[in-house]
Amino acid sequence: MRITARLVAPFIQLYGIYVIVNGHLSPGGGFSGGAIFGSSLVLVAISFNLEAGAKQISHHTASLLESGGVLGFTLTGLAAVFFGGNYLANRAAGFPLGQAGEFFSAGAIWIITIFIGIKVASTITTLFYNIIEKEQTVGATKRTDK
Amino acid sequence: MELLSGLINNYYYFVAIILFVIGTHTMLTHSNMIKKVIAMNIMDASVFLLFVAIGYVHGGRPPIIAGNEEVLYVNPLPGALILTGIVVAVSVTAYALSLIVKIHRTYGTVDCDEICKIRGDE
Amino acid sequence: MVLSEQLPALIVISPLICAFLSPLLYRRHARASAYLVLLSLLLSLIMAAALLIKVQRTGPLFYQMGSWPPPWGIEYVADPLRVYMLLVVVAVSLWIFIYAIKDLEHELRDEVIGWYYTLYSLLVASMAAMTLTNDLFNLFVLMEICAITSCAIITIKEDRECLEAGFKYLVLSAMGTGCFLLGVAMLYMVTGHLNFGFLQEELSTAVLNYPLNVFTAAALFIVAFGTKAALFPLHVWLPDAHASAPSPSSAMLSGLVIKIYAFSLFIIFYRVFPRSLLDSLPLSEIVLWLAAFGVMFGSIYAMLQTDLKKMLAYSSIGQIAFIFLGIGLDQRLALVGGLYHIAVHAITKAMLFMAAGTIIYATGVRKISDLAGIGRVMPLVMVAFTIGSASMIGIPGTGGLISKWYLALGALESGRSLFVLVILLSSLLNAIYYMPIVINSFMSQEDFGHGVKEVPKVLQSALVIGMVFVALTGIFSRPLILLLEEQMALFF
Repeated sequence: MRITARLVAPFIQLYGIYVIVNGHLSPGGGFSGGAIFGSSLVLVAISFNLEAGAKQISHHTASLLESGGVLGFTLTGLAAVFFGGNYLANRAAGFPLGQAGEFFSAGAIWIITIFIGIKVASTITTLFYNIIEKEQTVGATKRTDK
Repeated sequence: MELLSGLINNYYYFVAIILFVIGTHTMLTHSNMIKKVIAMNIMDASVFLLFVAIGYVHGGRPPIIAGNEEVLYVNPLPGALILTGIVVAVSVTAYALSLIVKIHRTYGTVDCDEICKIRGDE
Repeated sequence: MVLSEQLPALIVISPLICAFLSPLLYRRHARASAYLVLLSLLLSLIMAAALLIKVQRTGPLFYQMGSWPPPWGIEYVADPLRVYMLLVVVAVSLWIFIYAIKDLEHELRDEVIGWYYTLYSLLVASMAAMTLTNDLFNLFVLMEICAITSCAIITIKEDRECLEAGFKYLVLSAMGTGCFLLGVAMLYMVTGHLNFGFLQEELSTAVLNYPLNVFTAAALFIVAFGTKAALFPLHVWLPDAHASAPSPSSAMLSGLVIKIYAFSLFIIFYRVFPRSLLDSLPLSEIVLWLAAFGVMFGSIYAMLQTDLKKMLAYSSIGQIAFIFLGIGLDQRLALVGGLYHIAVHAITKAMLFMAAGTIIYATGVRKISDLAGIGRVMPLVMVAFTIGSASMIGIPGTGGLISKWYLALGALESGRSLFVLVILLSSLLNAIYYMPIVINSFMSQEDFGHGVKEVPKVLQSALVIGMVFVALTGIFSRPLILLLEEQMALFF
């Protein structure tokens, strides 16, 4: 299980990034791609012990990325306000639209998708760390009682 | 007979309503907390099923533009709404499950009737 | 970019940005994140006041999110009625937060206070957006954010009662949300629109072609909003949840969260459903009778309580039923009374919960029978409690009288004098359970038996602000009543 997890994790992460980045061209987008990426980090943490998982992405970094993802999303919307449209406007605010089907197309959508992907991945790892760390401290106290 | 043929033709809607009733009934009557969370998920999933079934167009293709042909597409709006709905349901489930973990640590059980008994004895 | 036109979005964005900056800041400097939340709420309040002035001068403002026009985009509407509700939400949240900065250190562990600020800001942002939104699915998403954050500010305290009460609230709230989403699916099935304006046009024809769908949707909406706003038979989660939560959470929940759902039900009844549906179905009758029972039973249950905060929570059930009584009477003056009662009860109940919280902070006493003689050692807190009780009963000079007066006038004008009797009886019952506490605390023979800690200046100033607000809503109520009367004339 450990060998498989070690081998497969980079491929899962690459697939997750592919789903995030192709959010505006094919089914997927920020939520599902972020969940896939987050699951790969949780997989490493489950199959090895917690320190190996923490070396990939520490608890502190995950919390920072979580807030940073949403702030990026919100500030992109605000940038649209400054460029002349309403909040979260796309064409009206002058984001460059390309050809439909290319990568750098559809204005602000790929920026927002990447921020959502970062946010969802870091949320899944933060949730996992919170539950596991509580379990470890509670388990330790239980063992010392008995 | 008209009712029966109507039900068989629109079986998506029929199944969605049955799942909704099953989910609501389980959520309100069963006392195990984890069953309540599972029933909440079933209830939400049934409403999502109803929403997506509304958007189906007979003979339509998935709504992804590939080339410039005139094709009949399935309505993409319910799908986008349900994506948001699924994320919301997942967050509520995650929060409810972490609450159950904490309740189990405090009370020692996840059964609502036993918790009522413990609270009543205090 | 004209700033005054972007105001509806900016009022919602300001607490939202602050909610996610606050955890980053809390690690470095705990006080700074509290001041950041305070600053963002103050900014929202100033922007809401500016929006009210603009909307009164130039008419309703339609704001399209993402510059996509409806029906493709989400629309936010700012007309004077909605901006009145927005002002109530932001002003009362700011005031409760001033109280919360000091009180939370006593009730929660230090690590979780930073997360409390995040949850609080998210709750304010979602409620502010719920008053402005004009789109059914956006309303669903905001309702879910509101439900999760309001449940989280109860369970963040991690006591035994908090966790169980919070779970009960979450399960019943999730049932309400499921029913709401099914109602939205029913309406979308027959009209294909989610925007309130387009829905109202389409529904006048859709009711004739597909009546069962619309009736089901109406019934599901009443159940959904009734569960979340604690209408009579669906109120069972409220006493435990509001009594066991930390005091600023109780004030926020009882004061604002249950009202925003009553307001959303009002908007859906009058902006989504066509007038023909309200005339043909007894929707208002059902809400009216449930509200009448809620008024009576809320007061009767409150008389039997021994815990101070539980009594206040049962009193909330009775008072929120007044707002539903206004909606159910379906008459102009009654609606003015019901909507004004939103502001009055928000201020009064928040102040009562803050007074109860200050008593618990200073003495640790929660039972009513132990409160004898406390008025002599904590005079300011008990004077605030007295003024709050006076407003709940409906004594002239406080806001409670104005809203009950308009409700009774509306009941008389629509020919249903029974409900005037209900209002009078409930005022009498309110007096029966509020007055003994006040009289006992000031004029009892015994002295107060527990030790009293020093009450910080911040908590005292929050109570003084509350007393000023209650007097303002009672004596200087004319501007708000005029605003509400003008807006109600548009509906009838």
